[in-house]
Amino acid sequence: MQSNTSIKLPLAFILYALTAFVASQLILFINNDVLTTGQFRIPDIWMGAHFLVLGYAVMIAMGAMYQLIPVALLAPIWSQAFGFIQFIVTAIGITVFSLLLGVSPDHAFYGGIIAVAGIIMFIIQMLVTILKQKNKNMMTAFILGAISCLFLTIAAGFVLAWNLAEGRITSHGAILSSHITLGVSGWFTLLIFGFSYKLVPMFSLSHGFSMKWAKPAFLTYISGLLILIGSFWTKTQFIDSIGWFVLLAGFFFFVLDIREILAKRLKKKLDKPFSFSLIAIINGLGVHVLAFVFSFYGIQEVAVWGWLIFLYVMGWIIFSILGYLYKIVPFLWWTYKYSNKIGKEQVPTLREMINETYSVILFTLFIFSIAGLSIGGLLYINIMVYVFQGLLALASLLYMLSIIRVLTK
Amino acid sequence: MSLEKKVGAALFEVIDPELGINIMDLGLIYGITVDVENNVKIIMTLTTPGCPMHDSIRNGVKHRINQIEDIGDIDISLVWEPAWTPAKISDRGKEMLGFG
Repeated sequence: MQSNTSIKLPLAFILYALTAFVASQLILFINNDVLTTGQFRIPDIWMGAHFLVLGYAVMIAMGAMYQLIPVALLAPIWSQAFGFIQFIVTAIGITVFSLLLGVSPDHAFYGGIIAVAGIIMFIIQMLVTILKQKNKNMMTAFILGAISCLFLTIAAGFVLAWNLAEGRITSHGAILSSHITLGVSGWFTLLIFGFSYKLVPMFSLSHGFSMKWAKPAFLTYISGLLILIGSFWTKTQFIDSIGWFVLLAGFFFFVLDIREILAKRLKKKLDKPFSFSLIAIINGLGVHVLAFVFSFYGIQEVAVWGWLIFLYVMGWIIFSILGYLYKIVPFLWWTYKYSNKIGKEQVPTLREMINETYSVILFTLFIFSIAGLSIGGLLYINIMVYVFQGLLALASLLYMLSIIRVLTK
Repeated sequence: MSLEKKVGAALFEVIDPELGINIMDLGLIYGITVDVENNVKIIMTLTTPGCPMHDSIRNGVKHRINQIEDIGDIDISLVWEPAWTPAKISDRGKEMLGFG
């Protein structure tokens, strides 16, 4: 089975996403004084957060899915032409929506409509593709779960944007919490779980592993999501703690499988960017432990949970994506440039397409920035937030340049 | 040297771009047959079904064999049975991958 997607499609998503990533970090850097106070619910932060989560993470996930679905599910993408139209609609929608959230939140709803249309087009594309898959497996379940959460996230987001304009719904807080949970924990986590079952063995050359925890991980994580969301609506602290505990158990089951895959790997020396994606898994587990502990002890400070969500997004989701992207982009470009030259002349290996030493410096910079930023934020130390958000913006810019550099090889 | 051996030797020059070692030492080639008209049939596999390098490696095999003098048609069959396992890697390949 080949990756038969035109590389222009995933690359379009990835390049847009990297631009949005840098934009988000610059917006957050400019507003570092607000970050220090732990007040995340202001228009400029909404703009930065949506450029980060929608513009960067969702667009990267979509681009990566166009590339990885044929690999993971052994089924070709339904329609590439539809994919290009979907890219244009979604890119316009997310840009307009994020900008309006910052400059005119009352009108953000209109940008949201275009973004939602683009995301629904993506969901249709993926559902038709999955329908064509001959042998459904656990990866199909994770991807379907992720897509369902994406749909519910945008439905909840749509209601939120509408409520910002109309203000008729009183349970705005419960919808907002459900929106964040479904988007961050549901869509991204289930997606990374699913693809990890294909990518981790592929990049570590692992064979003979069982995936015995995949089903328990899927069912437990989905149950955790439902319980946690239930707690937002019933406003019950006890249910909230159970929800986080079940989510932690689901994440732990996934970690057990990844541990077995890595134990049975043949490639003892792993590529550095890929190792970074594996570090993200440890971060993810750590954040789940913290969330459960905070919930269990009834810690409800908005600033603490705000920074925990930040750690969840950056330490788990964004780190995973940053690491995998260092494998995906060189592959895309290599396929475009050298696929027809292999066997005819000397061609570089994928590893030679990137500078590993540079990637280690960059990833270390990311780790320091996130750690410093979280500590500075939680302790309300202005200068730390300023310095480390600046460092994070710089790391993001350098990361984008390093990816663009691959395209010159 | 027989044509079969020439083809086998040539395939040592086709490198798996992800792993950086040749496909012969990796154990991806299951069979090489050459008929009286010098038509070549290759039976090969990949390390994992859905390997994104499918087309590239297959093209690489075709291109490299094409460079051999007097070669006829080239037919490449990609099979998944028997599935590739690490046991198929040569000792030299294991050394190259760092687990020899």
